[in-house]
Amino acid sequence: MRRVIKGNHAVSHGVRLSRVKVISAYPITPQTTIVEELSELCASGALDAKFIKVESEHSALAALVGSATAGVRSFTATSSQGLLLMHEVLHWVCGARLPIVLANVNRAVGAGWNIWADQTDSISQRDTGWIQIYCESNQEVLDSIIMAYKLAERLLTPVMVSYDAFFLSHTSEVVDIPVQEKVDEFLPPYEPPYKIDFSDPRMFGGMIGPEVYYEERYRIYRDMMAAIETYGKICDEFGDAFGRRYMAAEPYMIDDADIVVVTAGTITSVARIAVEEARQKGINLGLMKLRLFRPIPHELWRDLLGDVSKVVVIDRNLISGLGGAFASEIRSALFPLESRPRVYSAIAGLGGRDVTPADVLGIVQQVVREEADVDVPIFWGLKE
Amino acid sequence: MKGEKRSAKAKRYELKSWREFPLMNVSLGTMLHNLTGSWRFIKPIYEDKTPPCQNACPCGNDIEAWIRLLQADKVDRAYLHLKREEPFPSVLGRVCFRFCEDQCNRAGLDESISIRELERYVGDKGLEAGIQPEVPSYHNKSLGVVGSGPSGMSAAYFARLLGFHVTVYEAYDVLGGLLRTGIPHYRLPNRIVEAEFELLKKMGIEFREGIRIGKEIPFERLCQEHDYVFLGPGAHKCRVLGIENEEAGPQIMPGLEFLKKVALGFAPDVGRRVTIVGGGNTAVDAARTALRLGALEVTVIYRRSEAEMPAHPEEVREAREEGVKFRFLASPEKIELRGKDTIELLCTEMELGPIDESGRRKPVKKKGSVFTVHTDTMIVAIGETPSFPPLNELLDYKGGPLDVSEELFVIMPFEGGAKVYAGGDLINIPHTVVHAVASGKRAAVAIDCDRRGANFDEVLSEISIGEGQGLSFSRYVGLGPLNPVRQDPRKVVKKENIVYDYFDKASRVSVPVRKPHERTKDFEPYLGTMDKVQAVSECNRCIHCGRCIECDNCLVFCPDVSILPADTGSFGYVIDYDYCKGCGICFTECPRFAISMVDEEVDVKEV
Repeated sequence: MRRVIKGNHAVSHGVRLSRVKVISAYPITPQTTIVEELSELCASGALDAKFIKVESEHSALAALVGSATAGVRSFTATSSQGLLLMHEVLHWVCGARLPIVLANVNRAVGAGWNIWADQTDSISQRDTGWIQIYCESNQEVLDSIIMAYKLAERLLTPVMVSYDAFFLSHTSEVVDIPVQEKVDEFLPPYEPPYKIDFSDPRMFGGMIGPEVYYEERYRIYRDMMAAIETYGKICDEFGDAFGRRYMAAEPYMIDDADIVVVTAGTITSVARIAVEEARQKGINLGLMKLRLFRPIPHELWRDLLGDVSKVVVIDRNLISGLGGAFASEIRSALFPLESRPRVYSAIAGLGGRDVTPADVLGIVQQVVREEADVDVPIFWGLKE
Repeated sequence: MKGEKRSAKAKRYELKSWREFPLMNVSLGTMLHNLTGSWRFIKPIYEDKTPPCQNACPCGNDIEAWIRLLQADKVDRAYLHLKREEPFPSVLGRVCFRFCEDQCNRAGLDESISIRELERYVGDKGLEAGIQPEVPSYHNKSLGVVGSGPSGMSAAYFARLLGFHVTVYEAYDVLGGLLRTGIPHYRLPNRIVEAEFELLKKMGIEFREGIRIGKEIPFERLCQEHDYVFLGPGAHKCRVLGIENEEAGPQIMPGLEFLKKVALGFAPDVGRRVTIVGGGNTAVDAARTALRLGALEVTVIYRRSEAEMPAHPEEVREAREEGVKFRFLASPEKIELRGKDTIELLCTEMELGPIDESGRRKPVKKKGSVFTVHTDTMIVAIGETPSFPPLNELLDYKGGPLDVSEELFVIMPFEGGAKVYAGGDLINIPHTVVHAVASGKRAAVAIDCDRRGANFDEVLSEISIGEGQGLSFSRYVGLGPLNPVRQDPRKVVKKENIVYDYFDKASRVSVPVRKPHERTKDFEPYLGTMDKVQAVSECNRCIHCGRCIECDNCLVFCPDVSILPADTGSFGYVIDYDYCKGCGICFTECPRFAISMVDEEVDVKEV
């Protein structure tokens, strides 16, 4: 069923179709309409789930630690400061191996207050042991939620699905909403290996000493790395079932490219246009869209980028003392290659500032003209 | 969960390598060996407390319990439970001034429960079905009761339930005392009083109408015929204004006399204009009665302001609705008769001065503020004083409130004769039906204690409810509470003990009320009675303060799964103290304060 819906409602549909049993959330702009819709679905009976109102994001996720340990599919959504407040529990969920799915609407962090698109929130949580997926369209948002449950439950690893504030959260697009039966076929009910059983009480999240803690963390790392392969398989299964094919990182006109721009989130759509415009100007530009960011699909990145001469990574985040987070990760992923492209970093669109095809083209041209410095990011559009 | 302790299930696991770890961070074996109950230093117990309604009821009526029975559609049991603590629910369900409702914790959320209306519903159902409590066989002691009003009948009822031979002596030819001759029919119809008395007769209480003690039968003979005597003669002597021409004609009459005449079918012709002097319930009843007799202008003159009126505000409001006028801060000075029928009443305006011995501001005359009222009938209802002439010589008593002990004991006037107790309006208690009933009940218990040689004070400390106003007849005779749990009847549940978040707002069920201009046309009751649906929905508003109703909240919230459902058929829950950490969440989340946290030393098995 094709409907024109906003990105936040695409999430709600994804959650509904995934037959989530417990939703616990605290409202924050621009996430609020996700949970509004979900609470209505719960109230009307369209979704047979327990909706828990809580007093903070920390509690929102903590409540899901309970529900997921009790063995049911659990969901929360947040944004910006809300995600930051969850920080401690994000780590806990990973260690407890709870397959929770979280939708994060990428929004700038304060101070000063800014409610618009920026990836700093989820980027700052990249080391909490959650699989991270970035989306470009509302359709991708909906599909990613459904796939996220399959991935999380198969690996007992939590998944965070991120997408840009307002550019997706509050923008309507045509979305093909799958029918429940097909989603049920794709996503079977969650069967946890362990869950709370009153007649046989176990200790969950108990203390483990130096003799085994290391091994436990290694196992978490190992299973997270397995997500690269598992995610590929799940994307294939999803493609077979619904006709929409996704990859951990997606190339666009990369085969003959001399220079490749790398983007995550909605800047990708803009960059596609820039690629076409660049080619008209005689620049052999290609595009790599980042989807799976944790774990890092090194092999795929190297396959897609290894042969080009220059790579420009556009980051909608700025890590003080480092620069663009995606650029930094791409550089280290490509470093072991014997011959590798020069990787440039560009910062654009912070705090919701618009990024147009002309901006992308401007960044690329600066690199083409050798006007950029590899050590210092291109601060594109920085006002005088 | 019976028999073997849960901890017996624990067993040991040994792993050779971390590769055998479970997939999640979870212990391999059960944790039942870990008796977390050892962490506890205080423990939760189910402990019933006294709801504020029961605490406020002079009679100690266990309202919460019969409401719960009514909710469960057990009307007969509700009726019998109600009758444990008071003799005539259909009467009190009509005339009680509902002290219970004033204290109802439900008011902390929206409005109090309509307890009186529910009592009327249950009472009438019980009357219809002719249900009565089981009566024990007689022992060899007898009680003579003087007066068949609320206090006497209450003493008779409870004494009969305690095995006494009871004889009631009534000066009038009709039974009921004030219920029959003082309370107008529109508030309490005769048929209800009669039906209640039929039930009392069936219990084996003997009645002797038309016998005035001290006249037909001497007091001494009464005291010799019975082991105990209870005096409930009421207060019938009307106070007089003490002004000029007060006895000038039959159209000037005392309030209670007026009501009595109307009740007995000798209603006087009151004319068009009626003026009542006084501010108590008798004054208001007289005003409303005068309207029903056809008076067109009925005015109540009261020397203080409305705030000081002893009459119940509800009665005042209803009287106003019906068209009764109130003239406050005015006092009659002089009566003059003009012609055959018209009374000219000279009054002075008053103002409130300093506080007097009654705790109210004393009305003082305002200089030069005389005004005149013309009226056809004047009713003086400024209070009644009790009297019981046979005591005058024995006690050097001249009428007025009689001194009594804690047990309501008065005197043993004749060597080897009866011990005499008193209650109702004869003693110094508020002049309401429920207070009179409570005094009769207290006297019956005190008399029974004397018969058994038990110490009344000790007994009282066992059976007192809440702050000690009411006492529990159930506890006295060993009838158990609804919940077989520990009881702390002295602890009253306050608003701050209730977790209102668990209750949805719902407004009071209102009973049908006849329109004011309709109801003044006759003496028929103007308040309707609830139907079953209304009664149940009103019961559903009850918070059940301090009483477990097995709502499962504690079971749901216990983070240690230490509150377990009890076996089918037995009370609610079992607390597994092997694992209960004493965190107190059950106590905090209990919506109605039915759980207490107590010292470890308290024996939980003691019920």
